[in-house]
Amino acid sequence: MKLKILIASLTSCSGCISKLISSDIFPQFLERIKLSYFPFISDENKIEECDIALIEGCISMDSQIELLKDIRNNAKKVYALGTCAAFGGILSLSKKKKAGAISDIVQIDGIIPGCPPPLKLIGNCLIRLIDNKEIELSEKNLCSSCPLRGNNNIHFEKTIYKLNPSNDEIATLDENSNCFLNNGILCLGPITREGCDHICIEHGIPCEGCLGPVSKDYTSNLINFLSLINLSKDLTKYKGIFYRFSKPKIRR
Amino acid sequence: MQKVIDVCTRVEGHGNVKIFIQNDEISNVEFEILAFRGFENILIGKKLSDVPKIVSRICGLCHASQTIVSCKSIEEIYNIKANQQSVLVRRLLMAGELLKSHSMHYFFQSFPDLLNIFNIYTKPIDIYELIKYNPQLTSHIYDIIKIGDYIDKIFGGRSIHAITPIPGGVIYRPSQKRIIIVEKYLLRVLSNLEWIIKNFVDLFSKFNPPEDFIIPNVNFLSLNNNKSYDRYDGSLTIKKGLTEEQDFRLEEYIDYFDKDLTIRGIDFTDKNHNYLVGPISRNQVVESYGSDEISGYLSLFDEKWRNNILYASFLKLIEMYVESQKSLKILEDPILKSTIPLPNLKSIISREGIGVVEAPRGLLIHHYRINKRNVLKEAKLFIATEINIPLINDMISNYARKLYEKKDLNKVKKEIQKIIRAFDPCISCATH
Repeated sequence: MKLKILIASLTSCSGCISKLISSDIFPQFLERIKLSYFPFISDENKIEECDIALIEGCISMDSQIELLKDIRNNAKKVYALGTCAAFGGILSLSKKKKAGAISDIVQIDGIIPGCPPPLKLIGNCLIRLIDNKEIELSEKNLCSSCPLRGNNNIHFEKTIYKLNPSNDEIATLDENSNCFLNNGILCLGPITREGCDHICIEHGIPCEGCLGPVSKDYTSNLINFLSLINLSKDLTKYKGIFYRFSKPKIRR
Repeated sequence: MQKVIDVCTRVEGHGNVKIFIQNDEISNVEFEILAFRGFENILIGKKLSDVPKIVSRICGLCHASQTIVSCKSIEEIYNIKANQQSVLVRRLLMAGELLKSHSMHYFFQSFPDLLNIFNIYTKPIDIYELIKYNPQLTSHIYDIIKIGDYIDKIFGGRSIHAITPIPGGVIYRPSQKRIIIVEKYLLRVLSNLEWIIKNFVDLFSKFNPPEDFIIPNVNFLSLNNNKSYDRYDGSLTIKKGLTEEQDFRLEEYIDYFDKDLTIRGIDFTDKNHNYLVGPISRNQVVESYGSDEISGYLSLFDEKWRNNILYASFLKLIEMYVESQKSLKILEDPILKSTIPLPNLKSIISREGIGVVEAPRGLLIHHYRINKRNVLKEAKLFIATEINIPLINDMISNYARKLYEKKDLNKVKKEIQKIIRAFDPCISCATH
């Protein structure tokens, strides 16, 4: 029996879906499963019992809560696809909108993080899902394998005064360069899960945290980080600098 | 009054059709998009260097256009122009994005409808039947989707939400090895497209497209470079009817349209006509695509097709062909490999900046204003699908009224969605 798979979008940019369709494995994935619901490419619009549900996008409307609960009741497993579904995403930075992760509403079985998830990660996850295995994510932060780690230690006492390097700094970055934090530029590597192959770092840009935190809880991650670094006044006031594409959730 | 709501399928994002019935007649139909996200609000207070990355998240299909138009608007504020090398990379990124967006829409959204509309396939086609319908078409399309994705991955750092375009230019210079790989891929795209275009012509050119899909009297609006096809640079043109044209510079847009940020939609000065943006408007406005090969293809379709929204599907294939050819020329340009330092963004010259590109679905303008602390005070985003919605609503209302003469509401729901899909609405963008 082929696995029945449901793919639904909530409030999103459709980037994760687009990534999924353009991944090498997608044609093979379609062959090996039975797509029960995927409005992006299919006319089927009823939620029926399925083995796996992949949800893209955050919750930003009441009608989505009903849809999500309906999906949860019908799916053996539910996974959040991408940063919006996993953590709330860019919309959670809005002052006027309420936007949250799908795990705020229903219990989920795992996340495929990223904005959008890196191709390799999507590919690996799809293969594991078809084989009915759990998704495996690294439990290490980005610094653990950072090409700029080299031999230098992070000097956390340095004041972080910039969000982005200047165009000159970007152009001159190479493998011998100093860690961004040592240069006073905010890099979210210490509190972000690895798995992106350091694409931004290799292009001379610090990590912006799109893969989200390593552990389930932001709180310990973020508070540790905040206690170690010294943010300039300008940055302390600036909203949305941690996990630039999601608002960190502080549990009290 | 009775109100019937149906969820649209095979469109990007979440949209409904809302059918209003009074005295057993359809009075009106609306294409309704719900999840309004408020990016114009999220942007307030943001540093200029953060803005392109945030607006990229408006759309996972036209992310490169969003990022690049944002960089262009910010460059106006600093009064700098991206260097030639950066412009070439930006054009490649936009071409990669167009290949992916157009090919996905053509295959998953348009093609099954075209087969149904022309009675080549009389039953609805599900995704598995579609994949098997013509395996060669399927494999050619997948190939183009993947190559489009690869081009954006190479030149953008990431294939979606690119990281290389920044205010001031692009932080990527390809190696000769990369250029050779992309060249090889683009030649494959051209040969795939020749097959797909021929397939389209063989299947559909002999038919007259249905009159319900005819675009009524509208104003066509498009960016163009002295009437040549150009999605990165140029001025704007509104074409009214067959002859009347108004050309204007980007800075003058406010004389023709504007938006009130508290209300959704775009407010045009000419209230007597709907506006259309996208492949059909580009086709109406430009006199030359800059490609000799395509004139033969275009001449196969007469006036009956050119005023029909179904023609957009064919034009998408043409645009993919043209942009693949142009991209191959860019890859040959030695400037692409040259190292030109990007300007450092130090002195702000203007308190506002406007930028324009043509996204795959049509005109895209960003207009930013900054405050004394040099963070964003106001952002106005003019987005293609938002411009097309009033026309979509007119066309589906007319079609629905006619279809409902047989009182089959299910048929109405099903058929009017074909018009909506032919417009290729980007709901993510429209709900920015």
